[in-house]
Amino acid sequence: MIGTATLLSESRMRMDRVKIPIGPQHPLLKEPLAFQVTAEGERIVESTLRLGYVHRGIERLCQERTYVQNLHLLERVCGICSHVHTTTYCQAAEALLGLQVPLRGLYLRTLLCELERVHSHLLWFGVLAENIGFTTIFMHAWRDREIALDIMEELSGGRVTHAVNVIGGVRIDIGEAQFQTIISRLYDLESQVHGFLELVEQERTFRARTRDVGHLSAEQVRQYCAVGPVARASGVDVDVRRDAPYAAYNRVPVRVITNDRGDVWARAMVRAQETIESLRLCHQLLIGLPDGPTAVRAPRRVPAGEVVSRAEAPRGEVIYYIRSDGSDQPARVKIRTPTLPSLMTLPDQLRGVHTADISSVLSGVDLCIACADR
Amino acid sequence: MNFDLVLESLRDALLLPEIESRPVPIDERFVQIPPERLREAVAVLVNNLELRHLSTITGQDTGQGIELLYHFWHGNGLTLCTTVPYEKPTVDTLMALIPAAAFYEAEVTEMLGVTFVGNADPGPLFLPDDWDGDPPLRKQNAHG
Repeated sequence: MIGTATLLSESRMRMDRVKIPIGPQHPLLKEPLAFQVTAEGERIVESTLRLGYVHRGIERLCQERTYVQNLHLLERVCGICSHVHTTTYCQAAEALLGLQVPLRGLYLRTLLCELERVHSHLLWFGVLAENIGFTTIFMHAWRDREIALDIMEELSGGRVTHAVNVIGGVRIDIGEAQFQTIISRLYDLESQVHGFLELVEQERTFRARTRDVGHLSAEQVRQYCAVGPVARASGVDVDVRRDAPYAAYNRVPVRVITNDRGDVWARAMVRAQETIESLRLCHQLLIGLPDGPTAVRAPRRVPAGEVVSRAEAPRGEVIYYIRSDGSDQPARVKIRTPTLPSLMTLPDQLRGVHTADISSVLSGVDLCIACADR
Repeated sequence: MNFDLVLESLRDALLLPEIESRPVPIDERFVQIPPERLREAVAVLVNNLELRHLSTITGQDTGQGIELLYHFWHGNGLTLCTTVPYEKPTVDTLMALIPAAAFYEAEVTEMLGVTFVGNADPGPLFLPDDWDGDPPLRKQNAHG
């Protein structure tokens, strides 16, 4: 006969280590990803993850389409940073073709990149707020994000997929009337984002939920080759826009934001300050917008060769490798999105964290699973 | 970092004066390394030159073998290229030198059937658990 004491001790032993599955479908995750977290009591000791639930075989599909058709496909790698994918792809194809994109085209391409960063960071801020229980902030962040989305819709016709880039430039232009209304709305948005920055800095509960949570040292960032705001919030000063300027970034210098704390709070600070910096860049791009054409005509066939193209997506460095065999279809397109190295940091970030803080840690990274899966 | 210094360090440390490099747009240099010396070459980058940022590994079936491109970043792009034969598609893992290689190696393993010797967790990462077809990015597979 088993006594009550034995039952209790067995039960305690079983509770010692508990495996908690998170995903592939889970309210905490906006996209499918399978996590398994092992907790000892309330503390996480290890975690594993599995991708592939939205793997669409995009790299393979690129080999079966023309360079022009691939624009349509690659815009759909990511539902948030769609423009930066075609930017990276177009500058790769343009390098192989030896095309010089007109300056006005480069400015407009860069403007969309920065508006996309603004909307992506505000989207992220809302997701983080919702996941740690700040539904009001979620609503405010997403309300204000609409300003950036409206501007992009007016410029391109699309809120999320803009189809602005073409090989050789951009297909949109901007008139004087549009210029004035965009400038005034950007000022409105900037004052709202200053409010969010103040909240991140000072709001007591927000700080309690994010400070000293999900810590990553600069050394851990370097080990996992993490990029973007995750790296910069651990004091690693990297930004492709400054380190290897592309599009019009050599004409509108970027102030790179870093923070040494390495926790979720630091990531929120970096993204909030980056949003303000992006809005400043948008102003500069609009005011300095040069006259002239926005695109040059590109031939269908691309000369044989290889190219490596990099850009700074809202989540960090995105890299494309393209090999051309001289036909109108690429022989290989390789894409690495910034979420992939960020995902590798998660087991380290989660180790030792309280189970209630899983939501802060996962949100803090700004995961884009569709991007990572491709 | 000066690229000539990187190339010189690789030639000296590996005792391979014939290592060649070629420029590739946009601002990238490709360096050809024999597959059996790849791990040593990366050790030179990581330990001697503090060049630790591996952006990704591209694998591609060129028709002559599986080519692996290790894209590094040091202010400019540096890519180490190596080709493994179809008969023995193996190369040493880099996980002890660069933990970030974990996902990139797993992806090349499942998409192209390359074995990274010493990688304890080679996937699957993206393909379904019950995938029983050939590696999907190989040219001679059931998918054409």
